[in-house]
Amino acid sequence: MLRTVNRVLLGLLGLGLFALGGGVLLGGLDLPRRWDFGMPGWWPFRGPDDVVLGTEGRTRWREEGWWWPTVIAVLAVLLVLLLWWLLAQRRRRLGGVLVDSGDGAAARLDGGTLEDVIEEEAQALDGVSGAHARLTGRSSAPAARVRLLLEPHADPAWTLGRLSRETLTHARDSAGLDRLPSKVRLKEVRHRARRVG
Amino acid sequence: MSANTWRQPTGDSDLPPEPGQAAPSADGTPGAGSGATAAIDEPGRSARRFWSTRRIPAAVVALLSAAAIGLLLYDVVSVRAGRSAMRWRLRLAEELATRPLDDIWVIVGAAVAMALGLWLFLLAVTPGLRRLLPMRQPTGIPGTGEVRAGLDRRAAALVLRDRAVQVPGVQSARVAVGRRKVKARARAHFRELEDVRADLDSELGQAVTSLGLARQPTLTVRVRRPKKG
Repeated sequence: MLRTVNRVLLGLLGLGLFALGGGVLLGGLDLPRRWDFGMPGWWPFRGPDDVVLGTEGRTRWREEGWWWPTVIAVLAVLLVLLLWWLLAQRRRRLGGVLVDSGDGAAARLDGGTLEDVIEEEAQALDGVSGAHARLTGRSSAPAARVRLLLEPHADPAWTLGRLSRETLTHARDSAGLDRLPSKVRLKEVRHRARRVG
Repeated sequence: MSANTWRQPTGDSDLPPEPGQAAPSADGTPGAGSGATAAIDEPGRSARRFWSTRRIPAAVVALLSAAAIGLLLYDVVSVRAGRSAMRWRLRLAEELATRPLDDIWVIVGAAVAMALGLWLFLLAVTPGLRRLLPMRQPTGIPGTGEVRAGLDRRAAALVLRDRAVQVPGVQSARVAVGRRKVKARARAHFRELEDVRADLDSELGQAVTSLGLARQPTLTVRVRRPKKG
C-alpha cells in the first residue's frame, strides 16, 4: 500500500520535473526551430527570448476575487497531504496482536513479546548468530519481518527451512493466527577465509 | 599463465548431494539434491524480486516539498495580512520574469530538473534492493508458503568463498555474486589447473544449488597460478 503510494507519487513528480525541465530546455536551446517541429499553441515556452514565468503569467488572475483564496487553499491542502505523506514513512511497530481465545473474549498479545519469542527461537537455531524480528501490519492481521545474521558455517537454505517450519510456525500457532506472512533477510557475519580440514 | 574460463549453467548439474547436505534434506528442506529443476516446475515458488518501499526518497521529497510549500504559504498569507513579501520571493519572481530561456542559469536549472525528474522516475519504476537475492520458498510444509526470504549477495559470496577454499590446491579464492552470475576466481598453488577447476566447478555448482535461490545464477570459474615473488 505505502509502496504503491510512494512509487506513484515519486513517479508523477519525476515525470513532472522532467517535463518542466525538458520544456524549458526545448525553448532555451531553440530546438523546435532548429529541428523544424512545431509546438502546440498553448505551449508556454516560445523560444530563447521567452522567460520561465513572466509578469503577465504571474499576475494574470491577481485582480480576480477568487485568486488568493484559491492559492491559499491549494497550498494548504498540498501542505497537509505532504505532511501526511511524510509521516506515513515511519515504520510503525505493531503494539499488540488480537488473539481469539475461543470464548468470545478478545485477548491482546503484546507485540514486543511475540517479537522477542521469534528472536530467541531464531537465535537458538544452528548457524544463526543474531536475529531481529519486527511485527508490522494490523493487530488482526499481523506480518513479521525477520533479519538473520548467519554464522560462517551456516547453510542459508537449511536455516530458512528451519526458521519457517519451526520458529515462524510456532509464533503463528501460539498467537492463534491463521497466517503470519513473513519476510526474511539473511546476512552473514563477515569473516576471513579459513580452511576447515 | 593463461586463464581458464568456461561457463556452466549450474541448474543442469546433476551432481549427487554431498554428505554435508544430506542431513538438511532428510528433515524436509529441499536440499542440494532436489536441485533447481524442481523449483521451476512447482507452482507457488515465485522468483519475484523484492520491491523496495522507497521510504527514504519519499521522505526526503516529502520533507523538501513540504518545507518549500509551507514557506510559500506562510509568505502568501503574510502578504495578504498586509506585510511585505519576503525578499527571496521578490527576487525569484524577478529572475523568472527577466532571465531569458537561453540564459546559462536557466539552462543549467532545466537540465538539473530533468536529471532529478528522471532519477525520481527511475526510483519509482525499478525494484531496488539489488543486494537481496530472492530465495526459493521452502515447500512441503503447511503454512510456510507465506515466507518470502532474500539472501544478501555478500552472504552468498562468503558461503561460496568458504566452499571454494576447501577444494584441494586452492590457495585463495574470490567470489563475486551478481544478480545473475557468480564469478569465482581462485589461485591454485599445487595440482593441475584443470583438475582444480573441475573440482571447483562441481563444488561451487553444488554450493550454488544449495543456497536455495529462486533463480539459479550462472557460474563462471577461473583458476590461475599465484604470481611469483
